[in-house]
Amino acid sequence: MLVFAAVALSPLRALCEQRVERVASGGRRWLSRSSAPKHPKEERRGGPVFQYAGRRHRPKHKVFVWGFSYAGALGIPSFVLPDSGRKKCRKHQYTPYRLETEHQISSAACGYGFTLLSSKTLDVTKVWGMGLNKDSQLGFQVSCHDRQKSYEYVLEPSPVALPLARPQETRVVQVACGRAHSLVLTDAEGVFSLGNNAYGQCGRKIVEEEIYSCSAVSLLQVACGQDHSLFLTERGQVYACGWGADGQTGLGHYNMTSHPVAVGGDLTGVRVQQVSSYGDLSLAVSQDGSLFGWGNSEYLQLSAVTEDLQLSTPRHLPLEGVGKLQQAACGGTQVAVLNDKGEVFVWGYGILGKGPNLSEAKTPEMIPLTLFGRSEFNPSVRVAQIRCGLHHFAAVTDRGELFVWGKNVRGCLGIGKPDDQFFPWRVTVPGHVLDVACGVDHMVALVKSLT
Amino acid sequence: MGRPAARLYRALEGLFAVYKPPGVHWKLVRDTVETNLLRGLNGAPRPAPRSQVKFLPEPCRDNRVTLEASVLPVLADHPLVAGPQFQKLRVGVGHRLDVFSSGILVLGVGQGNVRLTEMYNSHNTRDYTLEGEFGRATDDFSCHGRVIERTTYGHVTKDKLESVLAMIQGVNQKALLTYSNVDMRSQEAYELAAKGSLRPQSKSPPIITGLRCLKFAPPHFTLEVHCVNETQKYLRRLVHEIGLELRSSAVCTGVRRERDGPFKLQHALTRQHWTLPDITQAVHCSWATWTGGEVNTVQLKKKSSTFKTQTVLARCGTKRWTLDMK
Repeated sequence: MLVFAAVALSPLRALCEQRVERVASGGRRWLSRSSAPKHPKEERRGGPVFQYAGRRHRPKHKVFVWGFSYAGALGIPSFVLPDSGRKKCRKHQYTPYRLETEHQISSAACGYGFTLLSSKTLDVTKVWGMGLNKDSQLGFQVSCHDRQKSYEYVLEPSPVALPLARPQETRVVQVACGRAHSLVLTDAEGVFSLGNNAYGQCGRKIVEEEIYSCSAVSLLQVACGQDHSLFLTERGQVYACGWGADGQTGLGHYNMTSHPVAVGGDLTGVRVQQVSSYGDLSLAVSQDGSLFGWGNSEYLQLSAVTEDLQLSTPRHLPLEGVGKLQQAACGGTQVAVLNDKGEVFVWGYGILGKGPNLSEAKTPEMIPLTLFGRSEFNPSVRVAQIRCGLHHFAAVTDRGELFVWGKNVRGCLGIGKPDDQFFPWRVTVPGHVLDVACGVDHMVALVKSLT
Repeated sequence: MGRPAARLYRALEGLFAVYKPPGVHWKLVRDTVETNLLRGLNGAPRPAPRSQVKFLPEPCRDNRVTLEASVLPVLADHPLVAGPQFQKLRVGVGHRLDVFSSGILVLGVGQGNVRLTEMYNSHNTRDYTLEGEFGRATDDFSCHGRVIERTTYGHVTKDKLESVLAMIQGVNQKALLTYSNVDMRSQEAYELAAKGSLRPQSKSPPIITGLRCLKFAPPHFTLEVHCVNETQKYLRRLVHEIGLELRSSAVCTGVRRERDGPFKLQHALTRQHWTLPDITQAVHCSWATWTGGEVNTVQLKKKSSTFKTQTVLARCGTKRWTLDMK
């Protein structure tokens, strides 16, 4: 009868069943239903009192995945190779699915068909990868049959071996994934790059550990574009390497760069707080809230400052009406920015989030906050984080809700249906969403339980 | 002596709200209101009885019978013959309240019952105040049910309660969009969602449009709920589910409806005021509430008078055949 109430009920029903099991296994007697009616006062006084959460009960951290599963990017082998003959393969996972991990995952990144998860533990294994591994973007995964060969598809989260000098004293801060390469940022030993280096995106001509540990430049953040890499140092300086045919390296030319070089242009002397890239465009947000962009502008992403189709040096984008920016995110054809008031502005080409009529915009268009849950009951709801996949957007509000919109490529939105979504739609994730990573056709969410 | 009963009856066309106390079936409320209205109507002055001219024989002095005309009241109009003037009144009930709940109950009288159907079809929201208590779970989710389980609640804080309420609101927000019968792929859906005015226009499961915590003093807490298409048992179950989500258990100790469509708690009549004059005034005022304007006697719809007021014929001819009219 109550269709959607089952959504609220099913975790509760599971909790009830868990409760029965726990009670049975704990050896406590269930309150027996005697046929004689009891006096209400006796009932209040007698009977055991159950405790399900003590004073020191802390919320659990979980990982949810959804999207296209055949590449193994979701990390659940039974979707690709079913356990029993009766079950069928699950090609698309349209709603969030829990991925069991032994450690608490602090950072996740989705590449083109693969995923990296990392934890802040001091154990030897800190990074796990699953999905496509044809370019060794997940490291060398030793195959059982032949120890000289690596698996091309990794179906389960498998440890990624990092050549750390002091593995039990270093923590992994962040991971980033591009089309066929990945970057792992540690707190004491710099950045490690894995995968395809055909355009120099891994910056592998010079060994990273030596550069960063010798010159004592520590990094704040790494970002991967499709075939290029961006590094942000603590002092707000941006370095880039890799494929540059659209100028996405921002070094003033359209050639490949095989080692990280400092980016200049309008960014000289500017302290950058965040860099972002996923396609062929790169964006940087400075400490004082202005936006700089370089790279591909075929879809009007940089039309605020130029009519050219590519920009090879960073230029400041004079945007009107957006206020002081805090975060920027860009996908293949679209751009989204978040200001300090929690408002989201979008422009570019594609499904931008203001209905099917708006498919391209030159100037930033604000998405009304009522779509993110602001109402007379909740007048202060704001967006805390904004992320972009190749053709879709994801926004996390300060109440821990995840909203997605854009093209639903092979079920990557996680809304339960394969249709595209033209305005922000809430994804049902059981818990408080802390962070989300968007890929081309899959997404990963890091979630904390509510209580 | 007062307005004639017919005029009072004609003024009783419309909607009004009463306050239903807990522990009372809604039908009892409706029957009591109807009885009180009928008592008031029948206590009002009856129209004067019709008169008829009768030619009665009158003996004369010289043994001849002559007929003398006399005006007499018609016996059929005598109250002991005809009975009370009003024996039935069409009093309808809007959205019902079950025995455990209390609050505003909208009733309609006469032509107001048509308005009740309109209210039902408009699917407007209702406001409730739910009172809950942590520590127990019962079979019918209320404090009078049989206790199924008792749990601790020392770990429950206001932040945890508010995160659970936010989760429930988010789930219901999605349901609101799904049941609004608008194609999600159209520009119209975006515009309605951006304004926040998407509402289910047809039958849908109960949907909560707003939820917040008014008071939190463990083990007691109070919630304010705005919902559409709900039942009171669903709201008590909501309190129970909130208890489960918080890894404890909760029962509902009170459900009170504060608003039903345009009728708010200040418009509700309490038991002492379930009388004809108060209800007539409430019906009068509810026209303004319904139409949203000031009450103007000229605008009130008046039925054409079919009941002719009979003037008592002054003459009552003979001294012998007069009847006492009470």
